[in-house]
Amino acid sequence: MGRRFSQNLVLVFALVTVASGHAILIETTPAANATVTGPVVTLRLRFNSRIDAARSQLIVVLPGSRSRKLLLQPQPSPDTLISRAGGLTRGTYKLRWQVLADDGHITRGEVPFKVN
Amino acid sequence: MLTQLLDVFGFLSVLLRGGALALQSLVLGGVLFRCWVLRPAQGLWRDKGIAQSCRRLTFWSAMGLAIMELFYVFTSAAILMGTTGLTMQDVVGAHFFIAGVAAAGAAAIVVAAITRPKHVSAVLLAASVVILSAFVMTSHAAGRMEHRPMLIGLTAMHQAATAAWIGGMPYLLLALARSREVRTAQFICRRFSRLATLSLMVLVGAGWGMSLVYVGSADAAYGTTYGVMLVSKIVLLSVLLVLGSLNFLIVCRLPVDAAGSLPCLRRFAEAELGIGFTLILAAASLTSQPPATDLISGRVHAAEIAARISPRWPRLVTPDRSALSPASALDWSPYGTRQSGLQSFVPGASLHANGPGDIAWSEYNHHWAGLIVLSAGLLAVMARSSHAAWGRHWPLAFLGLAVFLFLRADPENWPLGPRSFWQSFAVADVLQHRLFVVLIVAFSIFEWTVQTGRTFGRAALVFPAVCAAGGALLLTHSHSLGNVKEELLVEVSHIPLAILGVTAGWARWLELRLPSDRPRYILAGVWPVCFVLIGVVLLNYRES
Repeated sequence: MGRRFSQNLVLVFALVTVASGHAILIETTPAANATVTGPVVTLRLRFNSRIDAARSQLIVVLPGSRSRKLLLQPQPSPDTLISRAGGLTRGTYKLRWQVLADDGHITRGEVPFKVN
Repeated sequence: MLTQLLDVFGFLSVLLRGGALALQSLVLGGVLFRCWVLRPAQGLWRDKGIAQSCRRLTFWSAMGLAIMELFYVFTSAAILMGTTGLTMQDVVGAHFFIAGVAAAGAAAIVVAAITRPKHVSAVLLAASVVILSAFVMTSHAAGRMEHRPMLIGLTAMHQAATAAWIGGMPYLLLALARSREVRTAQFICRRFSRLATLSLMVLVGAGWGMSLVYVGSADAAYGTTYGVMLVSKIVLLSVLLVLGSLNFLIVCRLPVDAAGSLPCLRRFAEAELGIGFTLILAAASLTSQPPATDLISGRVHAAEIAARISPRWPRLVTPDRSALSPASALDWSPYGTRQSGLQSFVPGASLHANGPGDIAWSEYNHHWAGLIVLSAGLLAVMARSSHAAWGRHWPLAFLGLAVFLFLRADPENWPLGPRSFWQSFAVADVLQHRLFVVLIVAFSIFEWTVQTGRTFGRAALVFPAVCAAGGALLLTHSHSLGNVKEELLVEVSHIPLAILGVTAGWARWLELRLPSDRPRYILAGVWPVCFVLIGVVLLNYRES
């Protein structure tokens, strides 16, 4: 009981700072709810802020809720993340992103899209 | 579990950022006060206690800053590692990590150096520059794509000027309280007044420059949370300018009537200090918002605001509890929501939309709360007349408000809803509401004992302190990262409440503290009117 409480306490304090944040997604390829042609899809996300790509991540959620972490390509611009997802067959997908902005804020979100 | 806890403590991050900014201002303000005000006066005075008191405040502020920065860095690192699978080695190169460790290290140098009596000014100034740079590195300016060098410069100037003026105020108060000789106090006031005037010009100029980039247009100023928060900062700054101008006039009169003017100056400086730190909290709130210029879609139009604030008869009949949306699960996850389009959210943030029943419930609560506050305000106005002395029992109305809020504010929770008393604390909004209930109870009891002559002295300051703190807390309430229109429209009514609360608190503070009768008589009329206005704003509160 005591140990669980102290673990929770550490977790609580460990979570405080994430909640402030302000990197917002300006545009994506594919666009939200867009339909693209597979099986290889180039994913591009542009934010309103410089992004620390080395400490950010993109995950594609496959049909059936399995997920795959994507490898990020070199940034064409400090506010943009790019990756290529291969083997995407016909179906509905979600691109989950989490970014660390250069000002230290962590933000996350998701972009749903379809592959035909 | 993770998102649930984030949701609970989400709003605390703004308070923590505000705390860090306040400590930064105190450290930098202390160093500048030492170099600009105290050092030139060294040969003049015999009041050794002044320097000692100022050193002590800088010491503890720097100690607090070092601890808070390390806390920030390591918790952020833990989160990043926990959510991305990075190792500590990967995280140490991040900007926030470097900035946080640098600020903590520089604050530690201030702690070590400030206790040494001589030859430390250069060290203190160098450490201050490092602290300032570290904060600028984690500001909006550091992440911008356009005008980055200019914005970094303006942010540095804005923060340095804030530190010199607002951060220097506690040192001025300490110095005046410790001054045994009038000429020492006069010298300190003159020197600080020059520093504050210069700082004000830099602060406003840099702030204006930043707002041109971050806001850019009138519709962004009222149509986004960032813009509305910035407007609230400008309103608070205007109140601060009035107090600053009064102090400036007093400083000009010092050679004529130092003994009579100095107590007034100290009291106005107390209010200036309080409102100044409220401004810093508002600034911290701004750092958690995306700049207004980045939010092209989802802005609120003037017509929508006008429609929302146009007077309408209050809702005084409660909707049935069955009309409310079912209680959301505590392990709710933002992923998998039905909302389409580009979504950005802070982990733990809610995207849950209110139904008509929820809106009716909330409006009913706000309108009855408004009636109670309006009644208290009118009673307080009447209590000024000798014919209605019974009006002095007005604080008891707030006990009713506390009970009402506790029972009605969160119908998903005990005693009305399915969540138990302790479970309810796992929801951010509920936690905030319960905090406000405690504040209201404390306020009403203390103020009733004061108004009825049961308590004297410092206890009377509880009401203004609680009132001003409540207003400041309200500035941090409800922050939507995605700037959902509805949340902004709610915020449009919350911000006037916050500003009126802060004004009421400091007006009452000055009424109690000022030595002369005439300004006290005027101020005694200000805070009851603020209460009446708060009641009116609440009575017209709407969510649809």
